[in-house]
Amino acid sequence: MKPSLGERIYLIGVYMVLTVAALMCLLPLVHIVSVSTSSLQAVASGRVTLFPIDASLEAYRQLIDGTPIVRAMWNSAYITVAGILFSMTFTVLAAYPLTRSYFIGRRMYTFAIVFTMLFGGGLIPTYMTIRSLELINTYWSLWLPGLVSVFNMLVLRTSIENIPSEIDEASRIDGCGEWRYLLRIVLPLSMPVLATLALFYGVGYWNSFFNVLMFINDPAKFNMAVLVQQMIQSQTMLSQLNALGSSEQLQLSPEMVNAAAVVVMVLPMLVVYPLLQKYFVKGVMIGAVKG
Amino acid sequence: MYGAIIAFKKYNFTDGILHSPWVGLDNFKLLFSTPTTIQIIRNTLALSLLSIVAGFPFPILLAVLLNEVRRMWFKKIVQTLVYLPHFFSWVIVSGIVVTIFSQQNGVVSGLWESLTGRSYPFLYREGSWLAIFVGSGIWKEAGFSAIIYLAALTSIEPSLYEASSMDGASRWKQLWHVTLPGIRTTIALMFILSMGRVMEVGFDQVYMLQNSTVSDISEVISTYIYKIGLMGAQFSLTTAIGLFESLVGLILVLGANAIARKYGNGLW
Repeated sequence: MKPSLGERIYLIGVYMVLTVAALMCLLPLVHIVSVSTSSLQAVASGRVTLFPIDASLEAYRQLIDGTPIVRAMWNSAYITVAGILFSMTFTVLAAYPLTRSYFIGRRMYTFAIVFTMLFGGGLIPTYMTIRSLELINTYWSLWLPGLVSVFNMLVLRTSIENIPSEIDEASRIDGCGEWRYLLRIVLPLSMPVLATLALFYGVGYWNSFFNVLMFINDPAKFNMAVLVQQMIQSQTMLSQLNALGSSEQLQLSPEMVNAAAVVVMVLPMLVVYPLLQKYFVKGVMIGAVKG
Repeated sequence: MYGAIIAFKKYNFTDGILHSPWVGLDNFKLLFSTPTTIQIIRNTLALSLLSIVAGFPFPILLAVLLNEVRRMWFKKIVQTLVYLPHFFSWVIVSGIVVTIFSQQNGVVSGLWESLTGRSYPFLYREGSWLAIFVGSGIWKEAGFSAIIYLAALTSIEPSLYEASSMDGASRWKQLWHVTLPGIRTTIALMFILSMGRVMEVGFDQVYMLQNSTVSDISEVISTYIYKIGLMGAQFSLTTAIGLFESLVGLILVLGANAIARKYGNGLW
């Protein structure tokens, strides 16, 4: 059956709106890349839109030579990789017992954990706790307070609960202990969820900003988020004070260097994201099912 | 949690948490009698309500439209692109926003200038700042929030579509009479739950987008606590604000969940 005229108009409308939505997500990124790779004259005259004009990598050279971005990148990577390892370990160790019916006090523990999601002491008490533990200026202040995300833990718990109990019984009869059951059966069966959670934790650590701002005072330990934010902030002030004079003589505007920094920060995300995309949609769905 | 008791004390460093003198509810009285704090509480509510209400229809629209698409490759590409901004930090988003809207050589300002002949400081006027604030939030989260509606859409019985097309319903009519009623409970649930989070405006978003010229409307509880509390060492007063925020938040979440439970779909 051929679609009627009205139906065709409807479908064209649907495709057009979606195309616009997709482009709106894509184009700002393209624009940023173009700004960071164009010449100063083109950027300053506002001619750069989607394609770089007089392409050059000067902004990136300036970024690497003139700012501590490389060290910040290492810091970010270090925080992220170690953070994923810690968080995943403890999330698994928290989620697994809560699924066992013979674990005494299960409801009480669940409530205690969920309560922290609903009600926190607030910013200042958290800060004072971290300070009195002498974790200021160490990365432990980033890893410990958010070691286990309650939401992620609940997602994992739900997915472990969905493993048929026959598998449990069968492996017990074959003489499988708790650890072996967890490592050999539960974890392999939860792979998609684990991948999703690792992605969420990783994104969280990579993007972590506020905790770094609060707990890390040593500029040598800043991660990329804080460094780039400070660059942007100082540039906003600069343009507020009217930066006509000095930056005109340079081959670059601070804006272009910032754009380059944003691109560098987005890059790892763009690499990892397509690999994990097929998992996370599934993982989010599991969270949507009531536990 | 333990540190929260300083909300009821006059904290100073030398005496420590336990030995600072008790002042009862004085901090809370001060909190509700100073115009600044009233203003930031108002700002918090205004910004988050605006974000929630303005941003709410977009994920639904996206999910419904994506559901209509039969070409899988197209759907895949659109989904990939609209989910992407969710994974960017606010640093990245604010970097993009500043580049695009900057008065001197931002691309939007350039466009505006060529249309009206004057430049306009988008980031430094309250109205346009508000629009940028809400818009950037929608840009970042709309796609990802659509996932939950997409999940709800898959649970609609396909036979309903068949039956309605037998009866001569157009695609447009099907959308109104089958698709939207099918996800009505999910929509209601999501709305209630988002109302429960009214007290939270993300620190990152506000902190990075705000500037001194728009601080009258952009200072919210979390940024105020950070600036006055941590930078200005006003520990007791700001803990009181934080505690107030948490308490209201808790009541809202519990209330929202109680309502959601009536729809048979509580959070726990």
